[in-house]
Amino acid sequence: MIQFDRVSKRYESGHDALTQVSFDIADEEMVFLTGHSGAGKSTLLKLIALIERPTRGSILVNDRNTAKIGRFRVPYYRREIGIVFQNNRLLMDRTVFDNVALPLVVSGCHHRELGRRVRAALDKVGLLKKERDLPITLSGGEQQRVGIARAVVNKPPLLVADEPTGNLDDALSTEIMDLLADFNHHGVTVLIATHDLRQVKRLGSRVLELHNGQLDYDGVPAS
Amino acid sequence: MRNYLLRHAQVFFYSLGQLARTPFASLMTIAVIGVALALPSGLYVLIDNVQHVSGGVDSSARISVFLKKSVNDSRAEYWAGRVRKIPGVAAAEYVPPGEALAEFKRLSGFGSAVDALDNPLPGVVLVTPALSETDTEALNGLVERLKKSSEVDLVQLDFEWVQRLNALLEITRRAATLLAVVLAASVLLIIGNTIRLAVYNRRDEIEVIKLIGGTGAFIRRPFLYSGALQGFFGAFAAWLLIQLSLSVVAGPVTDLAVLYGSDFRVKGLGLQASGALLAAGALLGWLGSRVAVGRHLAEIEPS
Repeated sequence: MIQFDRVSKRYESGHDALTQVSFDIADEEMVFLTGHSGAGKSTLLKLIALIERPTRGSILVNDRNTAKIGRFRVPYYRREIGIVFQNNRLLMDRTVFDNVALPLVVSGCHHRELGRRVRAALDKVGLLKKERDLPITLSGGEQQRVGIARAVVNKPPLLVADEPTGNLDDALSTEIMDLLADFNHHGVTVLIATHDLRQVKRLGSRVLELHNGQLDYDGVPAS
Repeated sequence: MRNYLLRHAQVFFYSLGQLARTPFASLMTIAVIGVALALPSGLYVLIDNVQHVSGGVDSSARISVFLKKSVNDSRAEYWAGRVRKIPGVAAAEYVPPGEALAEFKRLSGFGSAVDALDNPLPGVVLVTPALSETDTEALNGLVERLKKSSEVDLVQLDFEWVQRLNALLEITRRAATLLAVVLAASVLLIIGNTIRLAVYNRRDEIEVIKLIGGTGAFIRRPFLYSGALQGFFGAFAAWLLIQLSLSVVAGPVTDLAVLYGSDFRVKGLGLQASGALLAAGALLGWLGSRVAVGRHLAEIEPS
């Protein structure tokens, strides 16, 4: 699903965020991306979402060379990736339903199909009853679940999460991680950037650890 | 295709709703656009009306040809007959000196005082040209041609004032065009600025939409509708302003016209001109927001 081949990213300021990073994530795999803050986790995710472009090396996502995706094709490319953000990035002036519906509206989904799929996504994250509420009235865990529903409503083959439990307590973190793992069991490739080692250990999935922009560890840690 | 239209209709009503949600700011923008559009449009209406008035006068434009005293009536009649055959002449009527004096007596009020005089008036041929009053070259050509006849003493083009008025109208028309261009530019700037602020206010939303795969066209659409709507409503405000001003002026103008024995009525903006005004407003709004959105959307990239 994702192939990094000797990828380096140097920002214009001269900072080397990633150096010669290579790895391969198979279809339907679940992988944790760890490392201290500033190790390059965010940069790596930005390269996958095409928010940034690599300075050197090549990135293949879903068997496509991302370097060949032009500016005007980027939106269509992003529709194949569900992104979950640390601060959930919900639109606070719209209802839960409208927030989750946004990716479908953006891709021009038919409105009858839209309602069905939004409710299916909300049902999966257990928030079907809150569809008319504004996100601001929900708890932090619920907001993050709305963010996950929005990321999966398009049924993307790849789900990328950036510190999805960053602002949550242990119980809620477990809940969110289990939800993401559940999507993985249903065939979605999941990449989660996190520094929550407790969750990483609990789920026992493969780990990619970055250290100062270099891949330090790639494997399944023995528990 | 139906889906596409439906999506546009949704964005249209969404943009309308956004305007209604901030009524004060929207009304301010619309009022400013209204005033800016009302100025050139009002001037256009004024020119149109003055032209209408002067149009009634044009047909009476004549060339007075004063014949030499030595020309007797029968020769004058014969000469007038020849003038009628010149291309560009609609009519030529001979007025003998006696008739001219009688008319002068009647109109001047000198009455019997005139009788004491030996008739000083020459015979006159009143020539009505079949030429447009704007075709000065042809008119002058006709005048020159008439002057050359041996019977003619003096030729007078009676509608110099019409020409002056037309020249004045032309200047006003160009000034109105210039004003329209300048104010159209200001409408572009006003809408551009409003849309720029709207873009910045919805920065987060735009970033999120970009991240979940919204195309540039999708993100631009509500702003373009918003700009076009504001332009349209601004043009409607201008239309109201003009019709209101005209209805204030119409009564006294009609009174004045009646005093001059004319049935002149103030002409408002016709259906076509009104349509053009509204379309121009919407187009300017769309254009202004297109420029602003194009410039500022590129600056907002997710990070």
